[in-house]
Amino acid sequence: MTRSLSELRPVYVVGIGLHPYQRPGETPYTALGVQAIRQALGDAGLDWSAVQSAYTGTATTAMGLSRLMYRHLGATGIPMAQVENASASGSTAFRQACIDVAAGLTHVSIAVGVDKPLQGSMPQRAAGIKDLGGQRVAPFTHFALLANRYIYEHGATPEQFGMIAVKNARNGALNPNAQRQKPRTLDEVMAPPQISGPLTRLQCCPVGEGAAAVIVASEDGIKAFGLDRSRAVRVLSSASRSEAVYDGENFDVALTVETTGMALKDAGVAASDLDLVELHDAFTVEEMLYIEAMGLAPKGQAAAQIAEGQFDIGGRVAVSASGGLLSMGHPIGPTGAGQICELTAQLRGEGGPRQHKGARLGLAHMVGIGAVCVAHVLAAPE
Amino acid sequence: MAKSPLHPGLYDPTLEPPELNGTACAKCRSVFFPPITLGCEKCGAPPDQLQATSIAAKGSLHSIATVHMHGGKDMQAPFTIAEVQLDDGPLIRAVMSGPATAADIGSRVRAEWASLGTAEETEEKVEPRFTIILEGDSA
Repeated sequence: MTRSLSELRPVYVVGIGLHPYQRPGETPYTALGVQAIRQALGDAGLDWSAVQSAYTGTATTAMGLSRLMYRHLGATGIPMAQVENASASGSTAFRQACIDVAAGLTHVSIAVGVDKPLQGSMPQRAAGIKDLGGQRVAPFTHFALLANRYIYEHGATPEQFGMIAVKNARNGALNPNAQRQKPRTLDEVMAPPQISGPLTRLQCCPVGEGAAAVIVASEDGIKAFGLDRSRAVRVLSSASRSEAVYDGENFDVALTVETTGMALKDAGVAASDLDLVELHDAFTVEEMLYIEAMGLAPKGQAAAQIAEGQFDIGGRVAVSASGGLLSMGHPIGPTGAGQICELTAQLRGEGGPRQHKGARLGLAHMVGIGAVCVAHVLAAPE
Repeated sequence: MAKSPLHPGLYDPTLEPPELNGTACAKCRSVFFPPITLGCEKCGAPPDQLQATSIAAKGSLHSIATVHMHGGKDMQAPFTIAEVQLDDGPLIRAVMSGPATAADIGSRVRAEWASLGTAEETEEKVEPRFTIILEGDSA
């Protein structure tokens, strides 16, 4: 018999920390990561010596980078490893830390996402795979194709995609850790440069550098270290899937349907119960597609509901309250861990100017090249 | 002048009209392009169950995107990428040769050979690019 995470020992997020996402610069990755880790330890009220395992979500920096970073907290000899899962690296590192705690391997574990855009290569090249599009089909064109297909199927307009960037820029302007902190009008979002299909520059996420750290603990860990239970956010479920053969259906959507469906089922909640969603809005069209794939809106109706403000902070369910990948940014490794930081702050009622009032349940979702999808459901402290 | 393929192994540039080199799984009947040789993506059948198959380069236009920003030196933007649902099964992406917009999604399309200029005097690099089948077009 196998069990889901929700059937093992309860896991709680007890500490969060971020290094702001920013344009690539001279800051070493170690400095980015250590700042986020110290902040997370301070937030939890823990010493580094309490942390029993560490997973580093990273994809674009360097091989074997964990210890060179964690040693600055004091080398305790704990197990540590890099977790590379493309855009879902941080989410997967978080899942691994949760699994350690849930399985009883540790009382306290940490997931840290850290990256600088120093290197990147696609696996197709190493596999020797050629296709007709090749490098002429960049990720933004993959999503531009989905955007035009959505327009064809549902009669949406390019401006309706643009409204997603307007919403997320409004949220990002309230987030001191966001790479893009300027509110934007629809005219600004729709202005050139045009990148691919209906997508303009401000409908594509910025890829920079940064770090995000999340400390998770068991009930025993919370008791042993006298942690503040009223700020401990329960991880209700964790789901992770990879692409199958879908016979024409778009794989990002099919994977999202399956993975978020599993995460909601394991958590024992429905999509309509969610107050917060952080999703993989690397391109505006994705937010539209995933809102529908998760069951937050019927097919073809996300655009109208976005226009009505249903996904604003203070709306029916706050989507990308952090600013999302579009405004907070997408430094790759940190992104999925950063989503957990946002949900945790919001579910504690510590969201500051971005607080979605009364938030009790949140879902984090990332897809990654491969393709893979990872989703978690978190609940507010009792 | 001899035609040589831009993507060796994916098509035979001497065939008219263009066809694509795909793979068919003898076990589950799935058809793949680009070809796979190490095992079936759908059912996991081993290489001895995978057979080379010729795929007609025609189908319907599933989506389209005009690329305005391209870092590569292989092609200058703007150019248009087509997503084509081939009649033989696979959903593929390739360059569109003729003018087309999002209003053409759903149209019937077929591939034609496009020349990428002369690499050497004796050789012409070609690739299949898709174009909308007009009424009266026999292809």
